[in-house]
Amino acid sequence: MGFSIMTRFILSFFALGLLLLVNSCCTKPPIDEVDYNDLFVNIADNIIVPRYAEFQTELEELTESLDAYNGSDLSLEILQNQFKVTYHTWQKVSIFEFGPAAEYSALLRSNCNTFPTNSSKIEENITSTVYNLDFPSNYEAKGFPALDYLLFHTNAIDLHIELENENRLVYLRDCITDMQNRIEGVVIAWDSYRTTFIGAVGNDQNSSLSLFFNQYLYDYEKLKRDKFALPAGFATQFGIPLNADVTLVEAPYSHLSLDLMITNLESLEAIYLGVGEDGIDRVGIFEKLKEYNAQSTVVEGDLAEAIKEQFVICKAEISNFENDLATEIETNIDALQNASSELQKMVPMLKNDMRSYLSVTVTLTDSDGD
Amino acid sequence: MVTNLKNYTATFINWFHSETSIAPLVVFRIIFGLMMFVSTLRFLLKGWVDLLFIQPTNFFHYYGFEWVKPLGEIGMYTVFGLLLISALFIALGLFYRWATILYFLLFTYVELIDITNYLNHYYFISLVAFLLCLLPAHRSLSVDVWRKPSLELSKIPNWILGLLKFQLGIVYFFAGIAKLNCDWLFKAMPMSIWLQAKAHWPIVGSLFTEQWIAYSFSFLGCIFDLTIVFFLLSKKWRIPAYIVLVVFHTITGIMFPIGMFPWIMILATLIFFSPDFHQKIIIFIQSRLKLKVRESIEYNSLFLHGFKKKVLTGFLLTYVLFQLLFPFRCLLYPGQLFWTEQGYRFSWRVMLMEKAGTAFFYVTDPLTGNRGEVDNSQFLSPTQEKMMATQPDLILQYAHIIKREVESRGLQNPIINAQVYVTLNGSRSKLFIDPEINLAIVDDSFEHKDWILEN
Repeated sequence: MGFSIMTRFILSFFALGLLLLVNSCCTKPPIDEVDYNDLFVNIADNIIVPRYAEFQTELEELTESLDAYNGSDLSLEILQNQFKVTYHTWQKVSIFEFGPAAEYSALLRSNCNTFPTNSSKIEENITSTVYNLDFPSNYEAKGFPALDYLLFHTNAIDLHIELENENRLVYLRDCITDMQNRIEGVVIAWDSYRTTFIGAVGNDQNSSLSLFFNQYLYDYEKLKRDKFALPAGFATQFGIPLNADVTLVEAPYSHLSLDLMITNLESLEAIYLGVGEDGIDRVGIFEKLKEYNAQSTVVEGDLAEAIKEQFVICKAEISNFENDLATEIETNIDALQNASSELQKMVPMLKNDMRSYLSVTVTLTDSDGD
Repeated sequence: MVTNLKNYTATFINWFHSETSIAPLVVFRIIFGLMMFVSTLRFLLKGWVDLLFIQPTNFFHYYGFEWVKPLGEIGMYTVFGLLLISALFIALGLFYRWATILYFLLFTYVELIDITNYLNHYYFISLVAFLLCLLPAHRSLSVDVWRKPSLELSKIPNWILGLLKFQLGIVYFFAGIAKLNCDWLFKAMPMSIWLQAKAHWPIVGSLFTEQWIAYSFSFLGCIFDLTIVFFLLSKKWRIPAYIVLVVFHTITGIMFPIGMFPWIMILATLIFFSPDFHQKIIIFIQSRLKLKVRESIEYNSLFLHGFKKKVLTGFLLTYVLFQLLFPFRCLLYPGQLFWTEQGYRFSWRVMLMEKAGTAFFYVTDPLTGNRGEVDNSQFLSPTQEKMMATQPDLILQYAHIIKREVESRGLQNPIINAQVYVTLNGSRSKLFIDPEINLAIVDDSFEHKDWILEN
């Protein structure tokens, strides 16, 4: 029988269709072999684990300096300085909100750094002495932003007077202990999670690449919006353009906002480059993009270099400001606008190009494609 | 030459109306019903009803279907419950006509709620469900026949199976035509990107980074799509072709996140096999279920005459022509199809490109000049944001969603701009639409969107 009559009928039509559609042509991208294992091992062993350890140690030191507080100016200064140091180490671990840190028992981001903090709620908690810091309703009354308020909201003399109140010291202690407990759980869990993390290769929504990449992006977008655009009035709330609002900055009382931002940027940069806490440059996302010979978007040229360069530009923009963000918002809004657009340029490079090249599943939503 | 054509047409019309066994149609009905039952169940168990229809606060509509709204939690779960039941009824051939109509309407309703969920295979299922509403697939081996034996048919006209085969063939063939483009064939894009992502696989993983493998996959996929239906139609090649088809779908099913589609196609294409083959399946089912087989069936014929025949022929011609021409509507638009996506949907462009976008939307208060970037996550789910960022019509819809939200909060006549960067098939990403245009005052239509920038 061979081809049936129907076949012939369809064939003749489709022969036409075929002729209609052939396009023009170009070059091919070179592709080398890539081993994600090296990347994940480096990130886990030389970046995540040591950074968590550092964060944990600094929190311990913070407890010690709180214990050592005796009403003297020196002991207050030591306590305040230790707070600053510890807050900086937080900026280096905020990105790792997946795996153990994203467990309900940890939820580090919400528990350690929900800002702006709610000072009246803090005072209420202290006065009533009845509070449960585990409740999400207390996110805005705990963590570093709460410590920032308690340790910096007024001058040393007044602080000394305030801290004579035992309940206040207890509250400070509770805030620190809460973070310590959480990070301790995370550090213990990472012992076994490390294997999972290194082993979860691939690019589906549960792969390490996807978890890690999405959090990396999220951390960057938080930095750009919450730490910068929102207080500076470059953002919207439910679509309504906002006015600048200096009360929204991170660490408003200790005036650390821009310093913390730089640490945050540096920590993302180190991950990107694959620089471990020991300072040694190993396999990072940079190396992967190099191997793919990836091309960049907003800035023309090599993607790996463009992102590297953009980190440098962003850090320089932020470092240029002499004062803290709140002051700059009031006096120097045009310069902030420039910095904002530099921070913005990074997003499509990370979110589009890097994602495309690494073939990361975009969201944690597992839906079908076609 | 003219006589030749006449003969040809006459033979075709003759074939069209002559009769064949109902067995393949019945087996197709059972497979379709069961597969839809499983798919719906899977959808429910994955929690997608909640994720896609209950959680989002805003939905993207199909042009002209803005009135389709989700029904809320109870409503949506009821719809999915009814989908489950009607799918089962289709398989059983119980209240078949009502079951197919209900299934078709509800399934299509669910698809119309949010365009960001669009998948070619959902469109395929809507079409098949629609065809099944009209076809006598319940008139053998069904509860309906058991209840009313006079319904039983043993023969159906050829056009019925032909129509279903045509519908299946269209899916493959147009998917093949779509692959005839420079990126796919001569750059092995996006295949290289997709394969590379699987480089960690044991044994075969290292092969996936080889360029020649990417090219082979691209070419084989294209040739497969273009030719498979013809091999399936030929008696001589059917079995080897089907084996290739099973291998093809299994590989794609394992490699890509395409859900039930490969498995549905593997089973649906059984319809290309001979009536004898399907008769064996039916006998097998009957013996396993210990069904009584009635000895003699009175002869029923579906053969139509006069006006009814004309209506039928007219309908079929329209349907077939529509299916053949609709995918080509993209030719009516200027610009690169993959870039503008004007006329992209409903055309069997399956797994064809790797596109990603980042969209920054800005709202400006016309009175104060206050301008701010929109936090997309306040209005859209991650999936919606992802889909929106690469499709111009959805970018426009989103601007109108923002406009509505902003106006409901008291800011009238906002100016809405968008800075959208899109990368296509691993190429350097570019500005996608005119960042200066106020999207709030642009209305959607089927006309060319001249605010899309050149790739």
